[in-house]
Amino acid sequence: MKLLSAEVVQDVIGCGLSMGADFVDVFVERTQSENMVYRNSRVEDSQSGTIFGIGIRIVYGNQALYGYTNSTEREELLRITKLLAARIGKSASGKAVNFESLKYSKIATLLDKEIVALDKISKLKKIDESLRSGDPKVSQVILNFMKKKQLVEIYNSDGLFATEERPYIRLYQQVILKDGSLQSEASSGPGAIGGWEFMENFNIEESTEMLLKQANTTLYAKACPAGKMPVVIDNGFGGVIFHEACGHLLETTSVEKKASVFWDKMGEQIAHGALTAVDDGTIDGAWGSLSIDDEGMPTQKTTLIENGVLKRFISDRLGEQKTGHKRTGSGRRQSYKFAPASRMRNTYIDKGPYSLEEIISSVPDGIYAKKMGGGSVDPSTGQFNFAVQEAYLIKDGKITTPVKGATLIGKGADIMTRISMVGKDLKLMAGMCGSVSGSIPTTVGQPPIKVDEILVGGEA
Amino acid sequence: MKKLMEQVMNDVIDRKGEGDLILSSSKALKMSAQNGEINEYKVSSSQILGVRVIRDGKVGISYTESLDDESLKLFVKQAFENAEMSEANSNEGILDLSGHLSDEADYPESEVDVSVKTKKTLELESEVKRLDSRVKVVPHSSYTEGESKSLYLSSAGRSTSYFDKSYTIVGSALMEDLGRKANYYDYSIAHTFDQLNWKKVLETSLFHAGNLLDEKALPTGKYSVRFTEDTLKSIIGCFSNFYSAQSGMEKSNPWIEKLGEEVISKDLSLKDEPLYPAAFRKSLFDSEGVERKSLSLIENGVLKNFYHNSKTARHYKAQSTGHASRGAGSSLGVDGTYMILDGKNKKPLPRKYLEVIQADGLYSGANRITGQFSVAIKGYVWENGVRTMTFGNITLSGNLMELLKTAEVVGEQLVASTDESFFSVPLMFHDVSIAGT
Repeated sequence: MKLLSAEVVQDVIGCGLSMGADFVDVFVERTQSENMVYRNSRVEDSQSGTIFGIGIRIVYGNQALYGYTNSTEREELLRITKLLAARIGKSASGKAVNFESLKYSKIATLLDKEIVALDKISKLKKIDESLRSGDPKVSQVILNFMKKKQLVEIYNSDGLFATEERPYIRLYQQVILKDGSLQSEASSGPGAIGGWEFMENFNIEESTEMLLKQANTTLYAKACPAGKMPVVIDNGFGGVIFHEACGHLLETTSVEKKASVFWDKMGEQIAHGALTAVDDGTIDGAWGSLSIDDEGMPTQKTTLIENGVLKRFISDRLGEQKTGHKRTGSGRRQSYKFAPASRMRNTYIDKGPYSLEEIISSVPDGIYAKKMGGGSVDPSTGQFNFAVQEAYLIKDGKITTPVKGATLIGKGADIMTRISMVGKDLKLMAGMCGSVSGSIPTTVGQPPIKVDEILVGGEA
Repeated sequence: MKKLMEQVMNDVIDRKGEGDLILSSSKALKMSAQNGEINEYKVSSSQILGVRVIRDGKVGISYTESLDDESLKLFVKQAFENAEMSEANSNEGILDLSGHLSDEADYPESEVDVSVKTKKTLELESEVKRLDSRVKVVPHSSYTEGESKSLYLSSAGRSTSYFDKSYTIVGSALMEDLGRKANYYDYSIAHTFDQLNWKKVLETSLFHAGNLLDEKALPTGKYSVRFTEDTLKSIIGCFSNFYSAQSGMEKSNPWIEKLGEEVISKDLSLKDEPLYPAAFRKSLFDSEGVERKSLSLIENGVLKNFYHNSKTARHYKAQSTGHASRGAGSSLGVDGTYMILDGKNKKPLPRKYLEVIQADGLYSGANRITGQFSVAIKGYVWENGVRTMTFGNITLSGNLMELLKTAEVVGEQLVASTDESFFSVPLMFHDVSIAGT
């Protein structure tokens, strides 16, 4: 059974068209989610909920008018449609729209297996015990388990009807170490589009070792030296540097305003020849994958930069209309409360020829950023900043002393030209990306890379 | 709506539980200008009902945006099922409070037609371009008005009602000159349309963007630093776990065992003032219906108290300070209202110092356990009372606890952040690590 009657949708779209709109789409969403927080070695918080609503977008030329409501009542939906369309004050002869279901190939998600609550608690207990028994300095373990299922239905005035069910699962882990007056923390948040099998396949021992190593490194690390130096950024979450420093600048949301340093660089060399970068919505089971985007377009694998040359922007329907750059199945939004915008999916730097050891050995004096934290960018200037969660000094081509408090800053356009070595071992990591259409699941990733020079903020 | 909440509460009580309900609703209008036209126009209305149930010391939470009978029955049932998964905790409970509290704002305002709002939003973009030819693009010019309503009902009989209305404008200027680019955002927030400060947003965006075009990196070293109230508020707010009893229970508050100890400079005092007259809006009660009052967190450098809700108060055998926070879809936590960082023993300004007007990457570069943080900063160099240089492309690293131990008071008047939620005397921090050239 559909979330909203097709007849009501026809009336809404018909109403928009009769008021002169060039395009109308309706996004219906029902998301059921559950969260469990395991802290102090017990379930301290357990919650569930239902998000339900309808978003209506009416487009006149390049202007998008957007409204949303929780109501499925025809009158309320027509009231919003008329309220939006009245801003333009046009009229036209209405036309009936008949919807045809979109046929598309679905990405392979995990099986979306369901289990009983006791099994979830049992798994969280094992993770907690593994971390606590792994190091006597562990003073706290916080596990936040999230599972949700988003059902979307998308209709538009071109007659499209598309629907997709998206199951998400994620485990956020935080461990805190205390040794006298010293304290440190480490965290990770693996996730997938899928069900409980993701947790069944979760390797507790490997995760425990990684978190405790990171927390211990930070606990006793010295302050990071400051200044410009070469930095080797390891695989996985290191990809956040590309996501922030370049990915956001390739979204037509920025390009259409000319508020991206790359807006007029199509076909030009914008990065070092060693760099090829991809935004791919079709990777089976990956956290940022979708079979269709939130405008009902099947997703695709999009090569953004090939051997340093800018090949494509990340584009949605309005982005294409405003910039001429073809849609890439990248119209995304957090929920019905947001109009879609061009957004990243699974974005990564593609594999290169080097091993991590070869890359490290090429650096006489620099920093090895094993694990990156978050960061941010101003797309209009390209200026970015990233925190490093786990870092070491490199001396004479060897990894030496652990350091803490490192921050990397610079400009996206500059940094892309300084990625001179790209490794073989590509790894993807789940994250959440916040931007104009809300907070959405995205994957970042890369093999190990070497940046020839970057400003490292640390102890002066 | 009151009847609907009573009906749901009866269901909770029939299931032999206690609990509380929050019904939140909001309406908003947002428009943005781009290239001389309104390119985004958004009208919204939504509501969400959340329930927290407690049975045998076990707590469960559920929420729904569908308010039909079937959804309401189901969501109460789910809340009790969630409670079954939790372990019993004797600190969980509904406060024995009854009676109604109301905090429904009623600001006198004139009727403003949407055409006026549209015209002003378009001018936010066109004026910034007209006033300075170096502005090529205006990345953000938006106007938002919104109202939010919230009703609270507990099984003990406490009810509250809240209503507020606000208006926000955001302006920006992206300047280009000789191949250099600089961007600066500013905003104004008010309770009525007439109170919005359009002129300030335009002038501030232009002033700072113009100066930032000339930004230069400083040599790596130690500097004296003064933060604007907005940047200081961000830094202090990032470490809100230091003042939170809940973070203490979660073992992520490094100050939890330091009550009565000197934790920062004895020249400084920190208060939470929910009824502060100069704040954006008084906050009369918290999310458990507890009436708010002034709370001294740090007095002359000595740690005096933490933010408490009913749960943390039971755990630490203290009183709730009226700082419970809970949204319809979230669990019980604690939160502050308006912070006042006051000081004494005013010292003269140093001959040379840095004024930080923008700090980026704070939340990703901060360690909330140790107080360590590292941010990318922009601002001005001041020498002998004169602004002599604009800096950027550098980072500042420090530890909030250490910085506050050595901070010097360099002014007497409290200065407000732009959103009027944080007030501080001017402070100077010495020997701060800056990484640049």
